This record gives sequence, structure tokens and C-alpha cells, in this order.
Amino acid sequence: MNRTIALAVGLLASLATPVMAQDIKVGTIFPLSGGAGPDGQTVTNAVKLMVGQINEKGGLLGRKLVVISKDDERTPAVGVSRANEMIAEKADVVIEGWNSPVTLAMQPILARAGIMDMTAVSKSELILGGETNPYAVRINSSNGFDAEVIAKYVVDTLKAKTVAFLTQNDVYGNGFQTAVEAEFKKLNFAGKVVLTEKFAFKDTDFRVQLTNLKAANPDAIIVTNSSNSSGLPAMVEQYRQADLKSTFVGAVGIMLTTVFKVAGDANNGIVSADIFFPDLAPFTSIPESTAFVAAYKKAYGADPDKSAALGAAAVQVWAHAVETTKSLDRKTVAEAIRGKPVKGTVFGDVEFLPNGQMKPRYVVFKVVDGKNAKLEALP
Amino acid sequence: MTVIESQTPSRTNSPLPRAVITLVLIAVGFFLPRLLGGTSVAYSTLTTIAIFAVMCYGVDIVLSYLGEVSLGHTLFWAIGGYTAANLSVKYGLDGWTTALATIAFCLAAALFLGAVTLRTREFVFSLVTYAAAVVAYEVAFNWDAIGGSDGIVGIAALKLPLGVATFSGASQEDLWPVAFALLLLTLAFIARFRRSRLGTTALMVQMNPALAASLGVDPRKVRLAVFVISAPITGLAGWLYAYQRAYVGPDMFESYFLVMMLTAVVLIGRRILVGPLIGTALLIAQQNLLSLGGDWNKIILGSVLAIVLIFWPTGLAGLFRRFSKSKF
Amino acid sequence: MNVAQQIINGLVLGSGYACIALGWTILLGVARLVNFAHGQLYMLGAFVTWFAIAKIGLPYPVAILAAMIVLALLGALMQTAMMRLVMTQNLTSLMIVTLGLGYVLQGGSALLFGGNPQTLPGTLARAKVDLGPLWFTWQDVLVLAVTLALYGVVWLFTQKTRYGSVIRAVAEDPKLAELFGVNARVVYLLVFVFECSAVALGAALVAPRSPILTSMGFNEVIMTFVVVVLGGIGSIGGALLAGLGLGLFTAFFGAFVAPAYTTAAAFALLLALLVIRPAGLATK
Repeated sequence: MNRTIALAVGLLASLATPVMAQDIKVGTIFPLSGGAGPDGQTVTNAVKLMVGQINEKGGLLGRKLVVISKDDERTPAVGVSRANEMIAEKADVVIEGWNSPVTLAMQPILARAGIMDMTAVSKSELILGGETNPYAVRINSSNGFDAEVIAKYVVDTLKAKTVAFLTQNDVYGNGFQTAVEAEFKKLNFAGKVVLTEKFAFKDTDFRVQLTNLKAANPDAIIVTNSSNSSGLPAMVEQYRQADLKSTFVGAVGIMLTTVFKVAGDANNGIVSADIFFPDLAPFTSIPESTAFVAAYKKAYGADPDKSAALGAAAVQVWAHAVETTKSLDRKTVAEAIRGKPVKGTVFGDVEFLPNGQMKPRYVVFKVVDGKNAKLEALP
Repeated sequence: MTVIESQTPSRTNSPLPRAVITLVLIAVGFFLPRLLGGTSVAYSTLTTIAIFAVMCYGVDIVLSYLGEVSLGHTLFWAIGGYTAANLSVKYGLDGWTTALATIAFCLAAALFLGAVTLRTREFVFSLVTYAAAVVAYEVAFNWDAIGGSDGIVGIAALKLPLGVATFSGASQEDLWPVAFALLLLTLAFIARFRRSRLGTTALMVQMNPALAASLGVDPRKVRLAVFVISAPITGLAGWLYAYQRAYVGPDMFESYFLVMMLTAVVLIGRRILVGPLIGTALLIAQQNLLSLGGDWNKIILGSVLAIVLIFWPTGLAGLFRRFSKSKF
Repeated sequence: MNVAQQIINGLVLGSGYACIALGWTILLGVARLVNFAHGQLYMLGAFVTWFAIAKIGLPYPVAILAAMIVLALLGALMQTAMMRLVMTQNLTSLMIVTLGLGYVLQGGSALLFGGNPQTLPGTLARAKVDLGPLWFTWQDVLVLAVTLALYGVVWLFTQKTRYGSVIRAVAEDPKLAELFGVNARVVYLLVFVFECSAVALGAALVAPRSPILTSMGFNEVIMTFVVVVLGGIGSIGGALLAGLGLGLFTAFFGAFVAPAYTTAAAFALLLALLVIRPAGLATK
């Protein structure tokens, strides 16, 4: 509650204080209220932190940066209004996107106005399709690469003979499953997919599916579930209660802080992969990463999770491109990112594919102490 | 019991000055975005208001003239959006064709839903229309052929061939004349409907079913007809919304739009021609210009709805009338 | 054994549906009133219970009582505000008003309780029972037992006592009932207060099964719609049967067809039924 008031006051203050003409405006559009509010606030906080650090070092192109942060309420129609406001306030870059429909709705609006658009989290493949925004850039990993990592683990490391899917019935879940099955073919997977169970994003009761899965008793169950604040923790708890013996293999990036907070030790034994960890190698030996973790902890009193890292990296990547090109122009900046390597981000030295997708480095892990979110990296 | 609005006597007696005033109002309306500074925000806000107002008029007809709460109009809104998106992206059809298809699909859907709900009244009617919208949402969400959970991207600019020339619009500035024209058409249609036989009969059926029956009116036919003609209005708003946003997804079924429709209608008062338009303008202005964050906006929208209906069942217009009466 | 477990799953789901729907059944059937804020009241009931346990430190049974009292007070407040609309039987406006109040409750709870998911500690949701290969929790048993008991008590009260016929008389014609010396306002107020505390009880019992969020309530209210209409508006026995039946339908539709489409299937079933029997299953 206090945070919301502080936010409202901050917004009013940012409206009231005249922004100097030479300031560079960094816009953020994330859900700041409702169920996804805490997640959006995490990303926004990370952006603010990074912008603050750049300002401390003298800003960009000799100019100060200011953050304009807006709430998309997880609703595409609201996101569109916010994008229009960004155009009115002449933002130089907009960092956006917690969920795909909102990103997809805002994309054409920002693209038509010629504003540089950095997508931090939203995972839809359509974002990089080039149809609405030929200069799209996305930090979060894509289903294609994610599937490669998971399939490899299941086939090569776990050596599973029988596999089942527990899939979220939308483009994200089904797309991931299709990609994993394609990777199975590439890896000449000798085992069998014995069962596919689907559920809806909003579901919180999975006993029916788990009963079927238990009867099939596969070696591994590959799970997609992006409802990190209610569906997934409920699923993890019911998975343990139903006493399934199969290895719970979570899709890349689903094990966010809220899952550990809510489901605690029920998470023990889950295998998953992700692209950022505050306390696992190799990130503990990347100076930019450890510096970010320390600064975030100091500013907000908690370890930054992957979402925070995505927000921070979006700022770093954009700022790096602005600095090297000495320009704020959308095309120039985007071309300096797309298909190019970027050094010194919180993810380490990374590379962008020609379609704007960041190529992350993955760490496969196992949960050893769910209550304290302690993980163990797997080879 | 619903309160019957007394028709305010028009102050102008001869038709000529009245036509002049209407024309002046139309002209001022058309140049309003430029009068407000001509910025892209002025254009996009006013275009959105025009589209949303048209969306609300569909619900307005059902609520004002049938006295029923349709919770299923998001279905027609979505039909418009999905028709425009699918036909223009997959088959490259122009705006006229997609608009005609929208009208056809909306009429068909409303005819079906209207026939199903013919025997239901009050909350059962509301529940069934709501159920229809939920089923349609699940279908749209799960059916990849029409967009699936991610929706449809890359909707090209609206193209309206006009004989020799072709109107083509993608930006908010380009779409404003179309949105404005759609709004005027809708207003003209509603004004005509109010005076039509169907409009007056519907009101009679709602207010005095016994009288209607004694005059040989079949209330079911009237209900069905009113429900069916309300659908394409909301549908056409969804059609234009698809071009404005260039993206259509299952979010068109969200309760955000539903609550917007109901609030805009009851805020000013039922059975007032420009009521939904003013209501929409007030709500959008609050959300875009005086936004206090998502949670507070919900509280504001909800309390406006509740307070208006509890304390001033005739809406702000009724309140205004009461004040002006007490003064003179 | 798979079928046996699915029957248990169905009963678990169904007793939850029936439990949450009880208040609405009474409100709609006996007093002919609607409340579209039902889902948000469910959410609020869950959060008050959570607040009482996690923040004040009350034991679970006391927390349930606290939630019921808080929501009863809220219900009294809501009904007092809406009394004029109720007495004039302005059902259209009532529907929209409750929809608006639901929005207010949702926004207000988000500000009050924050956007983080919470779990209810100290309940029986983690006390598991194993019967050979079958499993359920003591919380599931509690939900089923309380639901059956409540429906029984409410049925006895409305069918076998004088009060039941008084309420029905008021629903039929509040003005006429007042002529016969019944205070219709008090009757309406009590019925609405009952609806609110019943949903609080339902929330306190059913919500511990999964994490709670202030944005929830939508699923609960649409399932309540289905239960109440399927059961035949206002039929108490019908609602209980419809709730349990819907749970079993969900379990078996999910087990043998496609669990992702159960909501759509339930609603399609409802639409079809309304075409054939507009008054619901329980009518003869």
C-alpha cells in the first residue's frame, strides 16, 4: 500500500517538476498493480537502479537520464494508452513487456511513432516476427533455445526412457512442447512420450491431471506453467501430495521467487534451467553481475531475481548502443544491437541474433532447499 | 420499476436553426483534436473515445429499451475485432468487406443468442449472455486458427476504396475521421431508433407489458429484434478498434470493456442520446489524464457505477435536472 | 484405482463449488436478489482469514469466525446502501451496482493486502490422508462435511420453519408482505448478511487449497453461476447436487477428454440446458 502511494506521489512529482530539455527519457511500462504488480515493480526497480548508476557516472552523451514509469495493469487496452502517453512525453526508449499480449498490443503503437522499444520479459515468438516492429529487441530467452536445453537434459543427462508433458494450454505452453519434441527428434531420442496433460493458465487445481500422470509413471514430466504466483506453486504442492515419483522438469525460467516463497520445500528435487542467478556460477564470477546483485540488495533489501536482471540488462544494452553510436535514433540504436555482441551486461558478455533475440547462457539446476531458494547447478 | 425519463422539450421550435446547431456541433466535434492542440495524444484519446462510445451504444439500446443487462456484448466487440484482423491479415480484404462481414457475423451470433435467451428474463438473461461470452473467450483463446492465446499481429492500415480514390489510414490522425464518421452514423441510427416503431414498442413492452399485450404486440419478437440490431453497433466499434490497435487478442473479452460499457451508459442516465458518449469521454479522460494507478482506477470506476445508481438512479442528467428545477 | 481417485478428485472439487455457491443460492432463490460481487467477496473472505491467522495470530477456527463476522458487517453495509433499489425491485440496477462494488472490493483489497500471493498457514490443507494408493487431505474432508451439514441445516430452516415461508413471501411481493406485518427490510438485510458470511465461510474452507491473490474471484463466481442455474434457481438440494455433479463432470471430462476445456464445456452444458429447460434441472 505504501509503495503504491509512494509510486503515485512519485508520478505526480515527476509530472510536476519540469524535465530539462536535454534529459534523456527512459520509459518503462510494466504491470504495477494487481496480481503481476510485484513482478512488474521488480523489473521497474532494476531499471531505475541501472539508470541511477549511469547518471552517477555522468549520464549518456553528456545528458542526464530520467525514468518515466507507467502501469499497464496487465491489460492490453491500458498498455496501448500508456504507450500513447510515452509518445506524448517524447520518451527516447521504452522498456516494456511482462506478458505477451500487452507487448504485442503496444508494439505497433511505439513502432509507428519511431520509439526504440526494448522488450524485457514477454516470451511470444510474434514479438520478433518483424511484422509490426522491424527493430525489435528482446532480452528474455526464447522458447526455441529453452527447449534445446531442457530436451538435452532429459535425453542426455537424465537418460529418461519415458517422458510426459504437463502443458499450459496456450501459445507459450504448446509452443514450448512442440519445440521440445522437435529437439527430441534431433537428439535421436530413443524413449517415448507416454502422455500429454493440459491445463489452463488460470487453473489452481491439478489433481485430475496429476492422477493421470501418476498412473502413467514416466521417468520425467516436463512442465510449462507461467502462473508463477498461484498456479505453479499450487501445482508443485499437489505434485508432492499426489506422491509422483517422476522427475519434475520445469521449463526454463518458471521458477521465480514467488514459487519458492509460496511452495517452499515442496520445490525440492525440481530440475529446471534459467539464465540468471544471483548466487550460482558463472554469475558469481561476472563482475557486472556481482556488482548489480550488491547494488540491488542495498537498494531494495532482497536478492534480484531473473526478472530484475532482465530489466537491468535492457538498460545496459540500450545504453551501450547509444554510447557507441552517439545517437538516440531508433534505427541506428537497434542496428547496433541486433546481430551484434554486447559486452559487460549483468548476464556477462552476450550476443544478439539478427532478429533481436539475446542469446543467453543457461544453467541447469536442481532445487536442494526450496524454503531458502537454494539451488545446485547441474553439469 | 424503472424511472421514465420525461422527454426534454427541444428549445428550438423550427427545424432550420436546429439543423444549423447540429451542423455547428458536428463541425466543432470534427476539429476538436486540432482545437485541443492537434497532438498525437489528442487524436488517439479522441479516437479511442469515439470507438468506445460506439461500443457502449450497443449495450445502451439493450439496457435502455429492453431494461435488460447484457453481459455478453464483449462477444460482439470481439467478433468485430477478430473479423477485421483475420480477414485483413489472411486474405488482404479491404475495410468495407471486413465491415460487412462484421455486421453479418454479429447479426448471426445475436440471432442465435437472442433465440436461446428468448424465454429468459433479468438475471438469467444476464447469466446466459455472460456464459456465451465465456465460451467464446475459451474458443478464441484455444483456437490457433483465429489467433489463439497470443492473438493476431500485423493488421495493416485500414483501406476504404471510395470509387476512384482509396482512403488509407494507420495513424491516429488518419483514423480520427473514420471514428468520427462511425460515431455520427451511430448517433443518427440511435436517434432514428428512438422515434421508430420498434423503439417505442420496446419501451412499451418494458414499461407496461400488459398494455403491449393488449395491443397485440409479441414481446418476444420485439426483444429479439432489439437485441439483434444492438449487436452490429458494438461489433463495428470492435472492427475499427482492430485497425486502431493493429493487434487483436483474447483480451477483447476482458471485463474491463464490459464494465466500461455499463458504466458509460448509466453514468449520465439511460435513454439520453448523447449519454453514453459523454460517459465514455469522462471515463477515458479519468483513466488517461487523471490516472491514479490500476487499483485506484478500479475503485473509482466501481464506486461511480454504484454511487450513481444508488443515489441518482436517473444518472448525472437526472441530478442536473433536479438541481436546475430547485433553482427556478 | 485411477477411477476411484478421480471420483475423490471430483468430490473434492464439487464440494468446493457447492460450498461457495450456498450463499448465492439462498440470495437468488429465496430473496430473488443477485450479487455479482460474490467472487470478490470470496477473495475478501480468504484474505481476512489469512490476515487473522498470519498477521494477528488467531487459530484457524477463530479466524474463520472473524472472516464471517467481517463479511457479515460488510454485507449489512452493502445491503443498507442498496435498500431502496431492493425495495423497488430494481433488479437491473442492482446487478450493475453489485458489479461495481465488486470492482471496488478488488481495487481496495489490492491496496490493502498487496499484490503478493499468500498461503493460509495452520489449516488442514497439508494434512494428507493416504488410503492405499488413494489420497486426499483433511481439509477436503472438512469442506465436504461442512458443506453437507450446512445444506442440511439451511434446507431444514427454509422448508420446515415459519421463517422460510416469511422470506419467500417477501421475495414474492415485499410491499404485500409488509401489509401483513412482515418487516421486509429486515428480512432482506438478514438474507444478504447470510450470503456474505456464507461466502466467507466457503472462502475460509476452500481457499487454503491454493495460494490466494487479490485478483482472484472470477473463476469462483462463474462456477457459482453454473451451479446455481444448473441446480434450478434457488433449489437448495438442486444446488448441492449440481455442485457435486459439476465436480465429478470436471474430473471425468478432464481425465478422459481435455482438462483445459472444462470451463467452456460446463458453460456449453449450461447453455444447452437453458434452451431445453429454462428454469434449470430441479424443475419438474
